[in-house]
Formats: sequence, C-alpha cells, structure tokens
Amino acid sequence: MTDFLNYRHFPVYSVMALFLGGFLIIVLGNKKVLRNILAVLSVSVSLACMLALIKPVMIDGEIITYWLGNRSIAGGYAIGIALEVDALSLFFGLLISTAVFVSCIYSIQYMANDRNVSQYYTLFLMLSGGVIGLVLSGDIFNMFIMVEILTFAAVALTAFRNEAFGALEAAFKYLVVGCMGSTCILTGTIMLYAQAHTLNFAQLSALIPGNITTSGKIAFALLIVGFATKAFLVPFHPLAADAHGAAPAPVSVLISGVLTKSGIYGIIRLTYFLFQTISQSSFRLLLVTVGSVSMFVCVTMALAQHDFKRLLAFHSISQIGYVLTAVGLCSALGFSAGIYHAMNHTLFKGLLFLTAGAVLHETGTTNLDDLGGLSKKMPFTTALFLIGAFSISGIPPFNGFASKWMIYQACYQKAVETGHFGYLLVTIICLVTSILTLASFVKVSQSVFFGRLPEKYEGVKEVPFGMRFAMGIFAVLCIVTGLFPDLVGKYLTHPASAAAFNANAYIDAAFGEGYASSMLGPFASAAQDVVFDTAGVWSPVSWLILMMIALIAVTIAAVSGKYEKCSAAPEEVTDPKHELFFGGEKNRFSQVGGSDLFWGFKYNWRHYFSGMHDLHSGVLNDYALWAVVALALAMFFMLIVL
Amino acid sequence: MITFNYIASFFLIALGFYTIVTQHNIVKSVIGLSIADYGVNLLIISIGYVPGGTAPIFTPGELTQASAFVDPIPQALTLTSIVIGACVTAMSMSLVMKLYDSYGTLDTGEIRRLRG
Amino acid sequence: MSVIISTLMYLGFILIFPGFLFCFFCGMLLCGIERKIVARMQKRVGPPILQPWYDFFKLCGKETIIPTAANKKVFLFAPVIGLAALVVIQLFIPVFGFTAFSGNADIIVILYLLLVPALAEIFGASASGSPYAGIGLSREMVTIISCELPLVLVLLAVGKAVGNAVGTGVCFSLQTIAEYQIEKGSLIKQFSMIPAAAAFLLVIPGEIGSHPFDTAEAETEICEGMLAEYSGPPLAINKLSHAVKMFTMTSLFCALFLGGLGVGIMTVDALIVLGLSIIITVCVVALINAATARLKIEQLFKYYWTFVSGLAALSLILAWFGL
Repeated sequence: MTDFLNYRHFPVYSVMALFLGGFLIIVLGNKKVLRNILAVLSVSVSLACMLALIKPVMIDGEIITYWLGNRSIAGGYAIGIALEVDALSLFFGLLISTAVFVSCIYSIQYMANDRNVSQYYTLFLMLSGGVIGLVLSGDIFNMFIMVEILTFAAVALTAFRNEAFGALEAAFKYLVVGCMGSTCILTGTIMLYAQAHTLNFAQLSALIPGNITTSGKIAFALLIVGFATKAFLVPFHPLAADAHGAAPAPVSVLISGVLTKSGIYGIIRLTYFLFQTISQSSFRLLLVTVGSVSMFVCVTMALAQHDFKRLLAFHSISQIGYVLTAVGLCSALGFSAGIYHAMNHTLFKGLLFLTAGAVLHETGTTNLDDLGGLSKKMPFTTALFLIGAFSISGIPPFNGFASKWMIYQACYQKAVETGHFGYLLVTIICLVTSILTLASFVKVSQSVFFGRLPEKYEGVKEVPFGMRFAMGIFAVLCIVTGLFPDLVGKYLTHPASAAAFNANAYIDAAFGEGYASSMLGPFASAAQDVVFDTAGVWSPVSWLILMMIALIAVTIAAVSGKYEKCSAAPEEVTDPKHELFFGGEKNRFSQVGGSDLFWGFKYNWRHYFSGMHDLHSGVLNDYALWAVVALALAMFFMLIVL
Repeated sequence: MITFNYIASFFLIALGFYTIVTQHNIVKSVIGLSIADYGVNLLIISIGYVPGGTAPIFTPGELTQASAFVDPIPQALTLTSIVIGACVTAMSMSLVMKLYDSYGTLDTGEIRRLRG
Repeated sequence: MSVIISTLMYLGFILIFPGFLFCFFCGMLLCGIERKIVARMQKRVGPPILQPWYDFFKLCGKETIIPTAANKKVFLFAPVIGLAALVVIQLFIPVFGFTAFSGNADIIVILYLLLVPALAEIFGASASGSPYAGIGLSREMVTIISCELPLVLVLLAVGKAVGNAVGTGVCFSLQTIAEYQIEKGSLIKQFSMIPAAAAFLLVIPGEIGSHPFDTAEAETEICEGMLAEYSGPPLAINKLSHAVKMFTMTSLFCALFLGGLGVGIMTVDALIVLGLSIIITVCVVALINAATARLKIEQLFKYYWTFVSGLAALSLILAWFGL
C-alpha cells in the first residue's frame, strides 16, 4: 500500500490529476462550488507531485523511468509507453504546474460571470494536462498526442469568449496553422519510426545520432518546424498575437507562459538528445539566428500595437527568442541562462497578462488609446504591473535582469570563444531589444495606469481578492527568483542544464548502464564538465541592501525637511492651483495616449514599421504560406548544410 | 508498389498544404487540412506494410516461423491519427459556422480584423 | 568589535565617500561650474558657483503642489527612488584603486542601473497626469533608446579590450578593469579605445539632457516636460538628481578610460576624479551647451544611431581584432 505513495508514481499522478479533474468537472460540474473545488484540487495535486520530485530528481540527480502498465523492454525494443523524468523535464514541469496553479486560482473570480464555465475548466485542465504530459513523456508518439490535445484545448479556449473581438478569427487561424504544424510533427515521427522501429525517446536518441540518413534529415526538419509552430517562433508569431489577444486572461497566461515552453522543450529534446545536431556549429547558428530575429521583430511589432494584450503577446515571442538564442549557444552558461529566462518569462508574463485581465475585468477594454489614469483606482494592480514591467525589461534587481544578464555574458563569451562576428551582433541585438521592451512598457504604463483618468472610468474599483492573490503569487516569485539567482541556479537551472548535456544518462536510465555508449559508439558524448563561469559579477542582494540604506537616508532627509508638509490634493477641488493647465486654459481632458508616444523613434523607422504592418496582413493564406516557406527552408538547410 | 504509396502520400500532404495556401475559401482550407491528414495516414500504413504479411492477430497454433505480420504499431497510430483528424474537421467546421454567422463571409481576404 | 568598525566603515562609504555627501558636493559643483562657463561664453556674468545649492535649499522651503489628476505616492516618491539609485551606482563605480563595492556589479549592470533613475523620473512625470509631462517622457524614452546603442557598443568594446589583455577573452568586471588600468596605464592610451572614448563623451550630454540634446526638457516648448508639474522639495530632489547624474557619467568615464591616474591615497584620488570630471564637464557639456541649439527628437535619434554608434562600432571592431 505504501508503494502507492512511492515518488516514482508521481509523474503519472501529476498528469492524471489534471485529465481526471477535467473529466469529473464535465460530469459533475453543474454545481459552482464543487466545480471550483475540483479544479483547484486537481491543479494542486499536480503541483504537489512536481514539488515532491525536486528532492530525488534535482538534488539527488535520479532519472525516473516509468513504464505504463509495467511493459518495458522486450528483445531490445521498448514495447511500452514510458514516462521519463530527468532534471530538464522536471524543470519545465515545475514552472508549468506553477503557472497552471496560479491561473486556475485567478480563473475562479475572473470567469465567474461567464457562461459554460464548467466547459472552460475542462478545456483548461486538458490544456494543462497536455503540456505536463508532453514534458514528462518519454515516448515521441505520446508527445504528438499531447501536442494535439494542447492545440485543441488552446484553440477552443481562444474562441471561448466567441463574442469578443476577433476571437473566432484568431482561433481559426491558429487551428489551421497549428494543425499544419501537428501534421509536420506526425510525419516526422513516423519517418523516424520507419528508420528505427521504435517510438521510445531514449532508444531513438541512442539509434539516430550516429546514423542520420536523408529521410532522417527531412524528419528532423519536419519536427523542428512542428515544434516551432508550438513555440510561435518567427514566422508563426502573428498567430500568437491573435490568440493571446483574444483569449481570456488566464488562458493567455497558459498560452504564453506554458504552451510556448512546450515548443521550446520539444526543440531542446530534439536538438540536444534525439539528433544531437546541436554539436554542429552551423545548426547552432541557425537556432541563434531564428531566436534573434524572433526577439527583434516581435519587440518592434509590440511597440506598434494599440491593444494591451496584443502587445504582451508580441513580447512573449520576443522573450521566447531570448530563450532560443541562449539555448542555441550550446554552452553550459547559455543553456542555464536560457531556461532561467524561460522560467522568468512564465512568471513575469503571467503576471502581466493577469494585470491586463484585471484591467479588462474592470473597464471592459484593453485598448491603449481609451484607457488612462487607472493607478488611482487600482493601486494594487498598478504596483504589480510595475513589478512585471520592470522584470520583463530587465531592470535590476528583478528576475528578468538576472537571466538576461547571464544571456549577455553567454553570448559575448561565445562570440569571443569562436571569434564569430555573428554572435557579437546577437549580443548587441539582445541588449537593444531589452531597451525597446522597456520603451513599450513605458508606453503601457503611461497610457493605462498613469496619465489622466477618463470620466467614464470614475466608477472603476480594485479587482476582487482572489485575483489579487493570484497576481501576488507571481509578483513574489518574480522578486524572489530575481534576488537569489544563486539558489535558483543551484536547485533548478544547473541540474537541468547538466541533464541536457548528458544525453547518455537519459538513455541509460531507460535501457540499462552502457546501452548508450554501445549503441552510439563514437557519437556517445561523455558527460561534460558543466562550467558556469561568467565574465562579470552581479550580486542582487548587495544592491538591494545598498538601495535600502540609500532609500532610508534620502527619505529621512526628505521627511525631516519640508517633504511631508506638502499640501495634499483635496478631494473636492476648491483651489485651482491643483489643476493641470495646458496652453493657458484649465485642462479638461488631454491624455497623451499610447499611439502618441516615441514619435522621433517611430519617424526614423517609419519605412520599417509600415513594411511590417503590411506584412502582417491578417490573411490566413499568407500565414500558411509563411509556414510552408519555413518548412521548405528548414528542409533545404538540413539537406544541404547539415 | 509500396514506393507508389510513399509518393502518393507525400503528394497528398503537399496538395493539402497547397490548398491551404492558395484557396481563399475557409471551407477549402479545412478540406486542405483533411487531405494532408489522409496523406499522413497513408504514409503511416505504408510504413507498417510487409509484403505478403497477414493481419497482426495472434492466434495460438496458427503462428509459425514462416508467417509474416504487418507491423501492428503503425495501424494503432493510424487509428489515433484518424480520430484526431476527425476532431480537427469537426472543430474547424464549427468555427467556420460561427465565423460565417459573425462575418457574413467565408473569404480569408475579409476575415482579417486582426492584423498589423 | 571589528564587526562594528567595519559596519561603520561601510556606512561611511555609503553616506560620505563615495556615497551621498561626495556625490552631492561634486554634482552641485559641476552644475555650478557648467552654468558659470555657459554664462561667460554668452558674455554674461553668470550666477555664483554655489547657485545650485541656493536653488536647492530655496526649493526645499517651498510648498509642494500635487495636481488633482496625479497619483500622489508615485508622484512624490519617484524622485526619492531615483536619487537613491543614482547614489548606489556611484558606490559601484571605482575611484581608481579604491573599489568600495565594485566587486558586486559589472559594467552591464551599470548600464542597466543607469536606467533606474531615468525610469523613476519617467514614472514620476507619468503619474502627474500632465500632457506636457507625457510629451516629455516620450522624448526622454527616445533619448534613452538613442543613447543605449552607443553605450552598449562602448561597453562591449571596453570589455573586449580588457579581456584581450587580461587573457580571459572578455571581461566585464569593474574591479578587473580598474586593476588592469593601474597596472598597465589608462585604456585611452590604447589606439583602439580612442573612438570609444569619444563616443562615450558624446553620450554624456545626451544622458544628462543638456543642449543640444535637451529635447526632453525643452523649457520653451513643453515647459520642462517631465518636471512641468513638480514644485517644492520633489523638484529640488529632481534637480539634485540631474546634478548627481552629471558627476556619475563623468566619473564613469574616468573609471573606464582614465583609470590608473590615481596615486593610491583616497583623498587625493577623489580630488583627481573631481578635477577630471570638471575638465570633462567644461569640455563636452558646457562648451557644446553654449555653442549649439536644441535638436529635434528625430535628429537626435539619428545622430546617436549613426554617427556616435559608428564611432563606438569602429572601436569595437578594432578591439575585436586585437588592435
């Protein structure tokens, strides 16, 4: 009976809890309280299972192989379906289940007034279960199944509020291009099966790398493009913008923070394990190029947006570009920085989407040109938005800075190490993208939270406690992971990146000691020494202490002076000196809105911006064409260069 | 013989993608998805094919060293894939209906409120 | 006992040198000298050198008026945070051999820490709700974007040049850069670093917003932009921050390019840095300030992203090939 609680069963529990919860909700979900309890219970169980695995997997370095139905290996071939959890899987599992947990809590009050909420929770749990299943799976066909489940759930959730502007359209485009991606994944999978006659990931990783045939290369191109659609990398980014913008906020958290990570996870597994193509410098350059292009194109697209959620959606892909760039460097520091940034992205982007949801919940719009001055009505949301904005734009000491800083170090080190000019360019793009990110969040804060409050929003209130609580969790995590990068490194990112550089251990865990080296022969990569040296230093805690002392000193000086005597603005205005004046007249309403900002910058780049606007035409055929072209280019690259 | 299957399957996948790229009617996009899906199904089945193989059903006594099975795994995969294909069609058709209700058109050139 | 002494010593670093008192003194002095020089160039008598101090104390005695549209907390406390952040940057910048806290941050961190005071000002202005402030912050943000690219290139060039010499390939640590210059002499003596130093000097007026790069404040067009609604002590703190930022940028230049000129005695080193800062301020801030008219914001952006970035990129390429 105690075997029931053995930690080896936890991965399967964590997937099953979500699917079972989804099933039970659709069966019993007419009662509101029961439905909410079931949803929270299933996500909590899933999170708890993941947390319980930290000790064995992250600290003790065990790799858990779990054969479903106890059917394992017969005649040298894996005949069962396996779940295989190493530190890398667990890392992604942890951040996914955290995001799922928080957005589920947020959903309770956010979705309270919608129709068909039980269907919403079912789809929500299916999406979560799909992603967790994907990262824990040790079987490539199972990965495909999970990809399909999560794509369906994501499409259905995008269209969930189908009366919202553009929701149906976004869902349909996402469905068509997403299914093209899924078709690619399935074709690639089956071509691998034709070559190796197995679907087990560990076994494929042992059989394929030394023996990549032409069909193997095509399969690789298909799989990479398929997972790129899931991560919404360029050229699939318009779908992300549409889908995130139209979906309800907690779903945007899942699509941006969780679903894109599944794509990144897939790419890491394929390149570091299955094909081990990451060892080739031309392929590394491809990943880094796609990453940098995604990061730069999407941040400029974000600058041009007029909708809060659509802007955030473009930023998601921009940050995913950072992750892919760092992962593509194939250095221990770069990989560690990349997945650290992936984690931070889930946290801060989750927080930002939830604040956008809070604004939508209270005002009914996310149009940047209509809003303004909400900080007086929603101070808590504003504070959390600022935390999120500072994190994503990499302002010390928040978490975005810690990981971006590592990415810069890794990029520049790589540039110096290889002497390749491209990596130097990438470093510069990374740094410039960061400042453009900051600019677009200054735009949001000016046009949504600060500035003048339009009269129609006088009655706006702060959001209810449940939503504030959920946002608070993300905010606290943003600060904690930013202040203690050493601890995050020690317990989360370093074990995960050590696992990524040790494909042999992954294979041996499933097939017994020595299987990998016997199968791979010269291609067997010995476990490398994983070094995390940086060229600089950054200690956030010391900055924080200094900042605190400085702040206290200035505040004391200010308060002991005349600072507290400032005459507060009276609630009912009597004295015209508290009014804003503009051109000699009392200022009635003049807000500098989102589209008015950064004129000089936009003017200099006007050709670029208008070209980009025309390219993102919104026509489904164009997006499908981009997908096909990307596929063709990928195949061309794999066949010619690799 | 089996080579023809492979060619046909890749032709179907390419045809499906071509339909999605070129056709401006969203119903035809859905048809394109289905065609690509059939192509993949054909590919999976062909990969499991063994010349002269029988159905992979294990009956005690009937099995001899000489008897050849077709590979059962691709058949299972095809079943899954067919189910998923049906889901795709059902879901996309329901979205098409809803889209027609709210936009009054099926032309991709007009269903582009989200752009830029 | 030793714990208490070291605590007191560090408090002394924070509060006196190179922290608060030193920053305030130097910043205000630079500000006064700059105003005097500009006045002399325009054939005016100009204010006394201590005028910034008089302004500061006078503003502190005035009433603070908060607009009804403003978010009071952000409006009042953003300047305080900005000033504190500037002082912390000053603590990280080495004064020749004297590196109080430089071991805790590198030049990339400094690059980002420089954003914190600017952001504090932007959010304070944004919270006032004034349209003038809105235009001002928009221009300030564009100015920041403009200065960022040359700064990035300069810092990467410095990192590469020092890394080449130290043998690690790349070095971002401020402490190592300071030590290297003490050993081998100033970086500016290297041929490849001269364009970078020039680019950095041209970035200084942009970062502190003096003529011709004061588009964000533009008294005559948009009523000092971001400061439009400020009055009393918060305005005093904002003015003080501007003065301190001038010193921060010049002393950062000293630390990056003119290191190794110190004699090893803390007081003398501090005076040398102050002297160099005055020279830099007079040359690149005051003279350009008096001689030019305000640029339009799109011209400013273009200038920084083409000419100044070009200089910095040249330096980076030279350092890249180890020249």
